[in-house]
Amino acid sequence: MSSLEIRNLHVSTGDKEIVKGVSLTINSGEVHAIMGPNGAGKSSMAKAIAGHPDYLITEGEVLLDAKSVLEMESDERARAGIFLAFQYPSEVPGVSIANFLRAAIQARMAEGEEIDAAAYYKRLYEKMDLLKIDRKFTSRSVNEGFSGGEKKRSEILQMAMLEPRFALMDETDSGLDIDALKIVAEGVNHLRGPNLGVLLITHYQRLLNYIVPDHVHVMIDGRLVKSGDRTLALELESKGYGWVKKEFANA
Amino acid sequence: MSDTPETDTLEATMDNPVSGIDQSSGNFKYDMTYDFDAGTGLNERTVDYISSVKKEARWLHDFRQSALKVFESKPLPTHWATKDLENINFDKIRYYLSQGQKPKRTWAEVPDDIKATFERLGIPEQERKFLAGVEAQFDSEAAYSNIKEAVAKQGVIFMNSTEGLREHPEIFRKFFGKVIPTGDNKFSALNSAVFSGGSFIYVPPGVKVSHPLQAYFRINAESFGQFERTLIIADEGAELTYMEGCTAPKFSTATLHSAVVELVALKGAKIQYITVQNWSSNVFNLVTKRGLAHEDAEIKWIDCNIGSRLTMKYPGVVLKGRKSRGEVISIALANDGQHQDTGAKMVHAADETTSTVVSKSISVGQGRATYRGVVHIPRHLKGCKNNTECDALLINTNSRTDTYPAITVRGDHHKVQHEASVSKVSAEQIFYMQQRGLTEGQAMSLSVNGFINDLARQFPMEYSVELKRLIDLEMEGSVG
Amino acid sequence: MVEQSASMPAVADPIGAFTEQALERHLASLEKAPAFWLERKRAAYAKFASLPLPGRTDEAWRFSTVSGVSLDGFTPAAPAAAPAQRRPAGIDIAAAATLAFVDGRPAQAGPIAPELAQRGVVVSTLTQALAEHPDLLREHFMAQPQKLGSAKFAALHEAFVEDGAFVFVPKGVEIDAPIVVVHAASRPQGALFPHTLVIADDGSRVTVVDHFVSAGDTRQFACGANDLYAGHGAKICYAAAQCWSTKALSLQFNSTVVRRDARVQSLNIHLGGGQARHESLSQLQAPGGFSEMLAVTVASGAREFDQRTLQIHQAPNTKSDLLYKNALLDKARTIFSGLIIVDPDAQKTDAYQRNANLMLSDDAESNALPGLEIQANDVRCTHGATSSRIDPEQEFYLKSRGIPPKAADELLIFGFFEEVLNRLESEELHAALRTLIRSRVRM
Repeated sequence: MSSLEIRNLHVSTGDKEIVKGVSLTINSGEVHAIMGPNGAGKSSMAKAIAGHPDYLITEGEVLLDAKSVLEMESDERARAGIFLAFQYPSEVPGVSIANFLRAAIQARMAEGEEIDAAAYYKRLYEKMDLLKIDRKFTSRSVNEGFSGGEKKRSEILQMAMLEPRFALMDETDSGLDIDALKIVAEGVNHLRGPNLGVLLITHYQRLLNYIVPDHVHVMIDGRLVKSGDRTLALELESKGYGWVKKEFANA
Repeated sequence: MSDTPETDTLEATMDNPVSGIDQSSGNFKYDMTYDFDAGTGLNERTVDYISSVKKEARWLHDFRQSALKVFESKPLPTHWATKDLENINFDKIRYYLSQGQKPKRTWAEVPDDIKATFERLGIPEQERKFLAGVEAQFDSEAAYSNIKEAVAKQGVIFMNSTEGLREHPEIFRKFFGKVIPTGDNKFSALNSAVFSGGSFIYVPPGVKVSHPLQAYFRINAESFGQFERTLIIADEGAELTYMEGCTAPKFSTATLHSAVVELVALKGAKIQYITVQNWSSNVFNLVTKRGLAHEDAEIKWIDCNIGSRLTMKYPGVVLKGRKSRGEVISIALANDGQHQDTGAKMVHAADETTSTVVSKSISVGQGRATYRGVVHIPRHLKGCKNNTECDALLINTNSRTDTYPAITVRGDHHKVQHEASVSKVSAEQIFYMQQRGLTEGQAMSLSVNGFINDLARQFPMEYSVELKRLIDLEMEGSVG
Repeated sequence: MVEQSASMPAVADPIGAFTEQALERHLASLEKAPAFWLERKRAAYAKFASLPLPGRTDEAWRFSTVSGVSLDGFTPAAPAAAPAQRRPAGIDIAAAATLAFVDGRPAQAGPIAPELAQRGVVVSTLTQALAEHPDLLREHFMAQPQKLGSAKFAALHEAFVEDGAFVFVPKGVEIDAPIVVVHAASRPQGALFPHTLVIADDGSRVTVVDHFVSAGDTRQFACGANDLYAGHGAKICYAAAQCWSTKALSLQFNSTVVRRDARVQSLNIHLGGGQARHESLSQLQAPGGFSEMLAVTVASGAREFDQRTLQIHQAPNTKSDLLYKNALLDKARTIFSGLIIVDPDAQKTDAYQRNANLMLSDDAESNALPGLEIQANDVRCTHGATSSRIDPEQEFYLKSRGIPPKAADELLIFGFFEEVLNRLESEELHAALRTLIRSRVRM
């Protein structure tokens, strides 16, 4: 069993502090959801944990199985098992999905070890079928010219292929119609299991109807202000963020 | 020509009272009461003469003389520029006419189409006379002194450059010829040898001049001289907008105009320099304009060129200080027989400097519009950015446009992007407007105005209104 | 190059070892050549000798290191030398026919498929073509104007060219597999004049690959030319892989003539040369013509790659599309100077030009001069030039998937080139050229 522990995390971008002391522990097998209004710092936190150079961690710790990842480059963190599903995945012209994933898997293998091409394609096609992705996609450039739904499915495909220990899913539901949302959720649920911890970042509770979280946290102005179970998400949906804000202000 | 200006006879002058004017377009007469006259042609004595009339200091006299040598030694830049430059007859040009000795004509002699143009542009009566060359000097002392008084209270120095040299040599000399060295090009050397007129402005630290300073003819006649020299210094944190020219066709009595404009924006200062020029079609307008931006400073050239036979003008910014910004906004309209060879020069010399060039040109009839640009990012800088956009609109079947940028980038820490496109007025759009009852000419004008609309908006209100009217005029007769 | 410049005379010698005597020796070796050929060579020599070397103020050589373009120390091949036997290694692709030249002389020719020969396809040496198809040579060999600055060197090429590849595809004949030509340089300090002439008659289709290689990393002077002629409705795909020695001075001149409804795609891959200049002229002479001009350059070390292009639209309804991509490493310099000319009355022209420079080192320098000269108004002409580093967001995306920085950059660099290589219709050619680039490039 693994754990991803976020301890008193402060994140700045430019001169502005966005995340102001967040603590949270995710264990394998758990699904945590972070909800909050726009600009609360949810995405910034995910990017900082993944090691994006524009998001500076000014204070606090991120521990993967009690070992700090902060000195690690972003690719090292990824190989250690942290996966970020991007809200806006980058387009990478000229690099096909097949080559891209091959390079990513190759990077996880020991030096001198070669990828088994036949097994690789077999696995790739299985996952693509699962996510209802046309096999022709393998020769298309990563995310280039993809629709919003295709981009999100391509993110889940990568997650399925790279088998991370922890997945940070940044607004995976944004821009999806209901059918696409169901496919994506199905994909995530399929990957759910004792070896994977998930942090779902979302603005709406809609996604949580399809991926049922074990824990729900509310983030406002860079802080986790309330935690609870699934019912908290439903409460938020009916009452909006206003009441949490008020409650937080009064506290 | 005459090698000896002092002995230049009246008869000789009468033969060619004002060289270069298109004699075919009007039968003009001029009063010939010159108190000071440097004659035609250019040699050491012409320069001595100009310097002595202006009672200049020794250093300036020497500066002019050495500039003359540079001018003489430099070939015309026809290895890249148009061969039309070879048609300038430097020996036939009158290099200096002092205040009050400008040639005059009577209002009755001004051609009707020019009068009509003034009418259409809504140029005030008195200004019309000045523009038409009827009055050598427009008495604008009142308006001028008001501006002068207002800004003087803030410590701003605003005068013509002759006065500036005399009264503030300590400031003038420190910056003069530093942004544009004499030998920058053949025409900057020429200007350095024979310059006269132009403005001198100094804005003290932190002073933000709220109203644009105008070197419109409202200020002084000399600012319209052939070889004007302008120097503007914005001290730390100062801000200033300067405007020159006007949209009315400027009747020029000389074929060659060659100005030099130097701007210096010290730390955190902002200078915006707006030009609208509409020369008559006999004029070679060869201008060197450049600004030096120190740390965090911003220099913006807004330049609109209409008319002339050939205009060569590439306003530039040397981005010398960290995080300085340079911008050139350029509109050019080339009608039959005109060549607008304009552009921009951005020299990055510090980290995190940003430059932007937006150029729009319109070629009408056989007119030719050329964009020429330089973007230079030398080695070992970081975080420099340039964005250049050039759009050309071709009105008639064989109108011409050229684009010649040169972009040098060293190192992997910069982002530079150049884009250019060529288009014509959409026939669909014209038809649509005609269907709504506009004439083809009106529709064309609307289209052209639409093409430059986003840039025209950057001009002060009265300029953009005049510009619109002017485009309407230029578009008339371009169709059918 | 530094060592040479130290011993260079103050004023560069405009003819070097390419003296009149050298020309006479060369002409004497061409026993069977027709009179017109010798005359043209003499005329070309006179032109070569009369023109100056490029100077610093030549606009056509702006930003070039003109001091490097010197003939000093280079020698033409001795006429008495025995013909080379060794066949140099080529590109790994199944070819319809192959030709190989070493130092400008025929080394080996693979047999042409009998069914192609039966249909009148000719793949031969220029020497053979002079004997069998002199009229075609007279009409098409270096027949187009030199407009991009190297008139002197093109004349030198014409005067001293010994042999080269001749490809003729008769009316309506279509060939699927490429014809592969290998030009190899083996002599240190040697000058060679590789030539490939492709004539695709009306309605024919052909793919030709030129591969330039050096034996050993020595200083050489490769002064090459290729002429592509696409008759009405013909289709030519031409790819050149320039892999000369990293100390070579390479000057290459391409001329492409596109007739009515014809289509020419040319791809130049520049991997070799210490100083390499490539001039490419496309003339769109009749309505419906389309010229696609592509290039990929890997500029590394302290080398200079200089590309000059001209797309001339001489007739209405023609199209050209240029995409030149450079990856710059180390202290390399690149120059791209491209001009689109639309002649008066060439209405409905559709012309595009794009130069992208990927900057991978703080000491590399890219120069871009994308130009337009447009004299017709009903046209679509755009150009763009960019110079930037690897997109940090893309880099992060790859790294966030666990791909190490070096591998990520490599993927992105090849991805940058793929946009160009993807334009090739043939999967096999695409794969072969991709492999070639990979084998020659170590990031």
